[in-house]
Amino acid sequence: MDALFAKADAIRPISKRRRTASSKDGHRSKKPSASKPQGESSSASNDLTLTSVVVNTKLPKSLRDKSPPTESVPQYKHIANKKLRAQLTRQSAQTARSKALVKDAELLLAEDAGLVQVEGDMEKTWRVGQSEVVQAAGEEAARGRKEWTLDGGPYRARYTRNGRHLAVVGRKGHVATFDWQTGTLHSELQLRETCRDITFLHDHSHYAVAQQKYVFIYDRDGVELHRLKSHVEPTRLEFLPYHWLLVSVGNPGYLKYQDTSTGQLVVEHRTKLGACTTMTQNLHNAVIHLGHQNGTVTLWTPNLPHPAVRLLAHLGPVVGVSVDPSTGGRYMATSGQDGTVKVWDCRNWKGAVRTWQTRGGGADVEWSQRGVLAVASGGSVNTYAKPAIQTPFSGAAPPPLYLTHPIPHRPLTSLRFCPFQDILTVGHSAGLSSVLVPGSGEPNFDSSEADPFENKRARREKEVKSLLDKIQPDMITLDPEFVGSLAPPPKLTTAVDDKSDIPYARLPRFERLKVSGKADETEETDGDDNDGSDEEGEGKKSKLSKAEKEKNKMRGKNKSLKRYLRKQRKNVIDPKAVAVRDRLAKQREERKRAIEEAKGNVQTEKSSALDRFKRSS
Amino acid sequence: MVKISVLQHAPATHLPSRPGDPTPTSRNLDPLMHPFAKARERTRALNAAKMERIFAKPFVAALEGHIDAVETMSRRPESLTVVASGSWDGGVIVHDIAQRTKLLHVEAAHKGKVSGVCFADETRLLSCGTDRNIKLWDTKSEYVDENGAGPSEPRKPLSIFPGKAAFNSIDHHRTDPLFATASSIVQVWDENKSAAISNLTFPTSTETISAVRFNLSESSVLASIGSDRTFTLYDIRTGKAERRVIMQFRSNALSWSPTFPTSVLLASEDHNLYTFDVRSLNEPTHIYKGHVAAVTSCDWSPTGLEFVSGGWDRTVRVWKEGVGTQPEVYHTKRMQRVTSTLFTADARFVLSGSDDGNLRMWKAKASEKLGILDSRERAAMEYRDSLKERWKFDPQVGRISRTRHVPKPVHKASQLKRTMLDARRVKEERRRKHTRAGESKPKAERKKVVVAEQT
Repeated sequence: MDALFAKADAIRPISKRRRTASSKDGHRSKKPSASKPQGESSSASNDLTLTSVVVNTKLPKSLRDKSPPTESVPQYKHIANKKLRAQLTRQSAQTARSKALVKDAELLLAEDAGLVQVEGDMEKTWRVGQSEVVQAAGEEAARGRKEWTLDGGPYRARYTRNGRHLAVVGRKGHVATFDWQTGTLHSELQLRETCRDITFLHDHSHYAVAQQKYVFIYDRDGVELHRLKSHVEPTRLEFLPYHWLLVSVGNPGYLKYQDTSTGQLVVEHRTKLGACTTMTQNLHNAVIHLGHQNGTVTLWTPNLPHPAVRLLAHLGPVVGVSVDPSTGGRYMATSGQDGTVKVWDCRNWKGAVRTWQTRGGGADVEWSQRGVLAVASGGSVNTYAKPAIQTPFSGAAPPPLYLTHPIPHRPLTSLRFCPFQDILTVGHSAGLSSVLVPGSGEPNFDSSEADPFENKRARREKEVKSLLDKIQPDMITLDPEFVGSLAPPPKLTTAVDDKSDIPYARLPRFERLKVSGKADETEETDGDDNDGSDEEGEGKKSKLSKAEKEKNKMRGKNKSLKRYLRKQRKNVIDPKAVAVRDRLAKQREERKRAIEEAKGNVQTEKSSALDRFKRSS
Repeated sequence: MVKISVLQHAPATHLPSRPGDPTPTSRNLDPLMHPFAKARERTRALNAAKMERIFAKPFVAALEGHIDAVETMSRRPESLTVVASGSWDGGVIVHDIAQRTKLLHVEAAHKGKVSGVCFADETRLLSCGTDRNIKLWDTKSEYVDENGAGPSEPRKPLSIFPGKAAFNSIDHHRTDPLFATASSIVQVWDENKSAAISNLTFPTSTETISAVRFNLSESSVLASIGSDRTFTLYDIRTGKAERRVIMQFRSNALSWSPTFPTSVLLASEDHNLYTFDVRSLNEPTHIYKGHVAAVTSCDWSPTGLEFVSGGWDRTVRVWKEGVGTQPEVYHTKRMQRVTSTLFTADARFVLSGSDDGNLRMWKAKASEKLGILDSRERAAMEYRDSLKERWKFDPQVGRISRTRHVPKPVHKASQLKRTMLDARRVKEERRRKHTRAGESKPKAERKKVVVAEQT
């Protein structure tokens, strides 16, 4: 038996070892102590078995992390459970290391973005015309400058996500999709009815056209596949690629989400704001932005029947909305019929970041991948470069102009930047013109997301993969980071704050931990602080206890007024209340004195004959 | 002078240099280039969890042959495929589980039930029964046709060891030609002698011993469990019972851990399994809760990281060492009460013998794919596993990978059991609140298991 124990001690089961060593009283002391010195007091280094094993349990040097652990790794010192603590520390070290590696990987980004650089203050970038840009551009890039003269009314255009294919639609019903780089025409249709918008679906193999009455889906060769009868008189189309949702809004003012993988109409929202002709999507959270005739901009998600945000942006109809993809969808630009362009911060809707007027009224806006803002106003397209647009500016002056290009075919109806190229395609009444805007396109694409050079097999594989990764429509929220984040601590408290009679065994787990003092409050306080700073940013507020916060929280209608009145009431001096309060204070005093006397701390003063002259207090 | 450069991609770097070459890929790890990366990963994790449940088809085969409950099973040392089983009908079968054939079938090895089988060495098999005999068999293969019919005259045992009482269990020493049996006492026998060489019993014991097992590392140490709720340790060299533990409920089966020499697993009548460290017998090191009826059998995986248990509730459960809840549950419509369970020597399969006379073979990991995996498939599986691990705290993913379908009676029983235990806890708490019992600390669950420890 002792030999068995000795063997087991050498192996040292992880957690069990310590307990047996420390709880040696009782059963342990009864045993003959032949093997004790080895198992008990000898350190790990003396143990032959252990030392022989340890060599083989170490990671070989080639597999160990070479980069030293970063200092900023959080230490989970407050966590008592050693295993959990070690795991958390390892996890955060791993995260820090992988972040550093991602930073290193930026060195591998091979291609450089385009630019227009001037020397000195006297030269201006906006003086550079298209001819100069084309001359300076390489042969391949210069092919991006194009003019398509087409009949059939103002044109709109749309690129695929990889920027390889272009779909154009004319007001009178001319539809064409083609690979603009090789010049291969996929399909060309004369639909002979009013067409208002076009969009590719997940890739260039399907596209949807907003026609006179309904939305129609065509395949790459122009064969009509579906007539979506539920989308009535559509004006604008958007496709959410990660959710496989085709979104349309139309003259009746209904916003409709159709799942193109299952064919179901997921949801339709009644905007109650009339006909809508302006729509865009935020690429980073799949929220749909609509601009309305009365000057409001509304943000929609499928799971809310009302707009998530409703913003009065302009005095008059909104004609253009765009979201900045280069900042993760943080900034939105809107333009009104009167020619006002406003840039908004989507985290804080109190007032526009920047406002300016354009000449000629009625401007469309579009933001490129690297944050170049294009504004089509009157007879020219103006572009503005990044940092100036988003810096708050109180005046009404436009930000410094980056490039400008006059187009003599009014109206300019659509602006589209080509992804991964420095190309801006402007749709107008005489067709389309492509303009080179150096620095607008992202130079380094990721083949797993969108690859301009993908072949047929890669396209098919991507289709299947993205279908497997399809995100459910109800996951669309304003904050896309909520996925995988910590659940907020439960708001209802049952046991800890107020004394209720729920037995410990029936409490929820978090409360049980709280009662037994094992709850990890650090995470929760962090969350609370964040909440406080988001809502009010008061330092004082966050010091309040949870109970107090709940008490101060306003619930329902008119609660604020009631609370206000209640607070006011405190100042009214009610003689009755004063009397009661005095009496209570007196009683409390007496009780305290009685307790003191009972303890024998205070000697009651001997009453003297002179007491009768004392003034009663 | 204005410096102008316009972005252009060189097709030479992005297109395959020769036809047939793979298309070069390029990466940009900027998070802005990967919108919804987290949400998409969660979708993948959800799909991985669902796929695991879809592919969870653990049942492999049923091995027939017995006409009554399979009471005992034992695997041949140094063999991956050979397993012997004994049944209530008195038959002993040696199975080849890879071929799913019978290597040996003795119809009436014992009168009454065969209560224990174990291999003495590569070829010889020991069996004991309630007919008070131990028989040693030669298992060298003989001709058995498809119907399982062997030669005309029944096979004779090599030797018979007569005992005084009905035997309940038998186990062979790892190296020496010794074996131990359990009846009203524990007896140690020599293969070459017809009578027991020593009787081991705890001084005050009047119990019936239900199982006896040699330690796998220190092979002279012997453990037994008895019907008087005891667990006893013996040393055959001293010939004495070393220590004894009396518990709240009796244990039904016993298994030594193959990797931690001091760790022993007990399958208890109170629906739980306990692991004890024999160095400190005052409390179990772990409690495994999951069965809804008495646990009748248990066996460690040869890796020592898992074990299997079978219960009166007609389910087989596969546990991870140190994880006391949510075991893998196996059941079929036709499987009756599980009387014996066994892990195979490669730790990939689990055998269960039940009241309906069948031996069933299950995968130890329910969704494991049998057969050859190519490297892409293996990589995909590993990726799915890590996704599940990473997203297990997501409510939906966690729920899918946690939930197991169990037969309705088992589900009802577990609900009822939970209700009863909760009520008991609440009652205990109220009692503590309103009486003087509340002044002391409540007793931990682990400390309640052992009633007394004797040396």
